[in-house]
Amino acid sequence: MAIAEPYAPQPLVRGLARLREAQTVSRRASAGDRVAIGGFLLLILVALVGPLLAPHSPIQPAGIPFLSPFHGGFLFGTDEVGQDIFTRVLYGLRASLIASAAVITSGVVIGGAIGLVAGTAGGWIDTVLMRITDLFLALPGPVLAIAVVAALGPSYLHTLIAVAIVWWPFYARIVRGEVRALATRPHLEAARLAGIGRVRLARRHLLPGAVPAVLVTASLDVGNLVVTLAALSFLGLGAPAPSPELGSMAARGLQYLLQEWWVPVIPALAVFVVAFLANLAGDGIRDLLGDR
Amino acid sequence: MIKLVAKRLVAMVLILLVLTAVIFLLQKLSHTDPVHAYLGANASKSAIAHESAVLGYNRPLPDQYFRYVHDLFTGNLQESLRTRRPVATDIRAYLPATVELTVFSLILAVVLGALLGLASAARWRGSGIFRIIMVSGASAPAFLLALLGILLFYNKLHLLPATGDTSFTNAPSGPTGMVVVDTVLHGQWSMAWDGFRHLILPGVCVALGPAVSIGRVLRTSLTTNLRSDFVRTAKAKGLTERAVLFRHALRNSASAALSMTGLQMGLMFAGVVVIETIFAWPGLGLYTDQSIPAADFPAIAGVTLILGMGYVVINTIVDILQAVADPRITLT
Repeated sequence: MAIAEPYAPQPLVRGLARLREAQTVSRRASAGDRVAIGGFLLLILVALVGPLLAPHSPIQPAGIPFLSPFHGGFLFGTDEVGQDIFTRVLYGLRASLIASAAVITSGVVIGGAIGLVAGTAGGWIDTVLMRITDLFLALPGPVLAIAVVAALGPSYLHTLIAVAIVWWPFYARIVRGEVRALATRPHLEAARLAGIGRVRLARRHLLPGAVPAVLVTASLDVGNLVVTLAALSFLGLGAPAPSPELGSMAARGLQYLLQEWWVPVIPALAVFVVAFLANLAGDGIRDLLGDR
Repeated sequence: MIKLVAKRLVAMVLILLVLTAVIFLLQKLSHTDPVHAYLGANASKSAIAHESAVLGYNRPLPDQYFRYVHDLFTGNLQESLRTRRPVATDIRAYLPATVELTVFSLILAVVLGALLGLASAARWRGSGIFRIIMVSGASAPAFLLALLGILLFYNKLHLLPATGDTSFTNAPSGPTGMVVVDTVLHGQWSMAWDGFRHLILPGVCVALGPAVSIGRVLRTSLTTNLRSDFVRTAKAKGLTERAVLFRHALRNSASAALSMTGLQMGLMFAGVVVIETIFAWPGLGLYTDQSIPAADFPAIAGVTLILGMGYVVINTIVDILQAVADPRITLT
């Protein structure tokens, strides 16, 4: 705001200062943000130790088929072959969180490397790398992912590869943008004038600057990824039948929806809960690290 | 202006070529051997070698790619391994229903997104609730919405149908193949109403996720604009709150929302595929879902190509529209 002129009347200046203060305060992480981040961390913990908490086997039938929730000692009931849905949801949570972590890691590594090289090198290298990135961004990622899995053959690993292939360009763009913005700052100018080599410049001075932006994007990405991966699994592109994946559980339960609603709905709700907590936590992390 | 359109069109052609190249490579990677599929499982090695030579599958890859693109231009998308019909014929049969559902969802997404964006940007009491609604909308997988929608509106309230695109077996099937459009063209109003009712549940399920993304972008852009100098000037001129919001802030935010809408089409196509399988909607999604277990890659490649082309063309149009609407956007 270009208001704080020396001749501006005092009350206005003070009012503006207070307004700005209010804005910075409201941007700071609130208690709700902390709760959301804590909740998501708890969920990750539950997912990691899931197999220890699980009362039954995720594959073997544990009781009579189609027991409704809270009956016969089954918290979420049983499915069409009598598997314990609670156990399978625990395993499914772990699978989807590991999957999204893997895709994000690969996106950050591949996209980050390309963005860093492009942003640091500039010139024709920058142009070529970013044109390639834009080409990928110009294609419909989710649709392409379906085709990639279908070509490689449905499996958990192939789903990860397919989504990773369409996911990195976002990170390349973000890292490159941050690096370009940083490169014009005075302290970078100083570092360059001091005769630091390019590699050291990129590693010690440019890369750390891109970390907050990447962290915020990555944390906001978890929710999207959980939902996208669940959709692929729903279409039958994930691991084959008996393995506990939330999407495929919902898809196979679909035929029982009108009589035994819990069989498809509970796995689908689990996807929602993970994504919801992840999105709230992502918002919280963004607020913690400053607005973007 | 002409220069910009020309440049965007050239870029579009390039992107489409890359799309065909990607699909071509995937086809090479996939385990389906078109010659083997064509001749059947018991074909002898020599017959396969002979047929490969005839069809050109022993030539170098660039040659084959050139042939592939050439085939595309003549409308040849190979033969489906499952239906044993040309993929192009199958797609022609399934495309209209998908177009109908997509257009309906797109309209819904834009309207809902605009409402969400405006409602959460305006600072009236209770606008905080929209944040929760939007985070929920962004987190809900389309299939969860579909399951809950079917349970509530079909099973419990008996308000809406949940399978297919019409309940009439004698609905007119021409000239577009879209039930609502065709019945309206034939003046069958009760059938048109029935078709529209079939659209509602799947349409909402597809539209909600993109609507939230559009709403979020619109809100961010609106709040930035509402803090800017030109809004302060407009307010100082004595314009009403509403005039400032709609004529000044919204108009300047429309461009951001528009480009988000274009980008959301990719997510929307994926949503359409999932939703069509749940609602037995006779479109490309159902076709894809049936092709996946059969490992029918030519069919999936055909659908990917059509949806990818749709996405690229739509985004090019959005780009050009943006430049028309906002003179600050120039050639980059």
